[in-house]
Amino acid sequence: MTTNPVTRPGWREVSGDSDPDLPVSGRVALARLAGRAIALTDGVTATAGPAGRWLTVGPQHEIPGVLAVEDGHGYVDIELHLVVRWPPQMPLEQLGEQVRTRLRRSAATARLGERLGAVSVAFEDVLTETGST
Amino acid sequence: MTEADKTARPTPSAAQIRKVAEGEDSAPLPSHLGQTTIGEGVVTKVAGLAAREVPGVHELGSGAARAVGSVTQRVGLGDAFNQGVSVESGEKEAAVDLTLVIDYGESIPRIADAVRSQVIKRVEGITGLTVIAVNITVNDLYFPGDDEPGDAPRVA
Repeated sequence: MTTNPVTRPGWREVSGDSDPDLPVSGRVALARLAGRAIALTDGVTATAGPAGRWLTVGPQHEIPGVLAVEDGHGYVDIELHLVVRWPPQMPLEQLGEQVRTRLRRSAATARLGERLGAVSVAFEDVLTETGST
Repeated sequence: MTEADKTARPTPSAAQIRKVAEGEDSAPLPSHLGQTTIGEGVVTKVAGLAAREVPGVHELGSGAARAVGSVTQRVGLGDAFNQGVSVESGEKEAAVDLTLVIDYGESIPRIADAVRSQVIKRVEGITGLTVIAVNITVNDLYFPGDDEPGDAPRVA
């Protein structure tokens, strides 16, 4: 992924998305990267929760299962809300670590690594062949 | 972000981030890199699914719970996998209560032991919690044909 020069403080253009020309905040860019990290990890999916409370709203679309919050010190804390597919191929702690690592790597590649704060992972449900809650 | 902002909160060191980024998973992660939490509903569902994996377990839950469960599931409020399972979990330990319906002809003590082992294996392996108790109540036996409607009356 390539990044264009910062257009204004805290804003960065992220390419490789459905709306590559639209500048987004670092917070939304990190939320998108988090969404992709979840999508690329086998055995988990994101959940926005029963009332859609775990969601980041971007300029053109929503990122379910990801909450990105500016902490007031220049960092963006990320909460990932996941559903695990049954049967999981590894312990949940390890699965969560895979997503976290993938996000940190892609944030570093997108030069957003220094803005990324804590990445919390919460497993909310289990998905079976007949569906989850 | 100013230098003052950067120093206002303990940040992961570059070496720590590099270790994570390079995939050195064995490196202990400092707590400010984020935590992993597992919902109690997840532990409950894992325990229920694990119990169902044991041959001879026909169903989970009492008759009343199953009747209410089938209604709530139809309106999208319930989950069949949580039926007959109650879990109390803390940060490190969990206790599981199960209500089972067992196929007629199976040995109840053998099935109960197998369920206990399977639940402990799955819950501990998947969630990392230590299971301190699996309490099992067998509240019914399933006879083949129990589900078939329209049984002929036994007396004329």
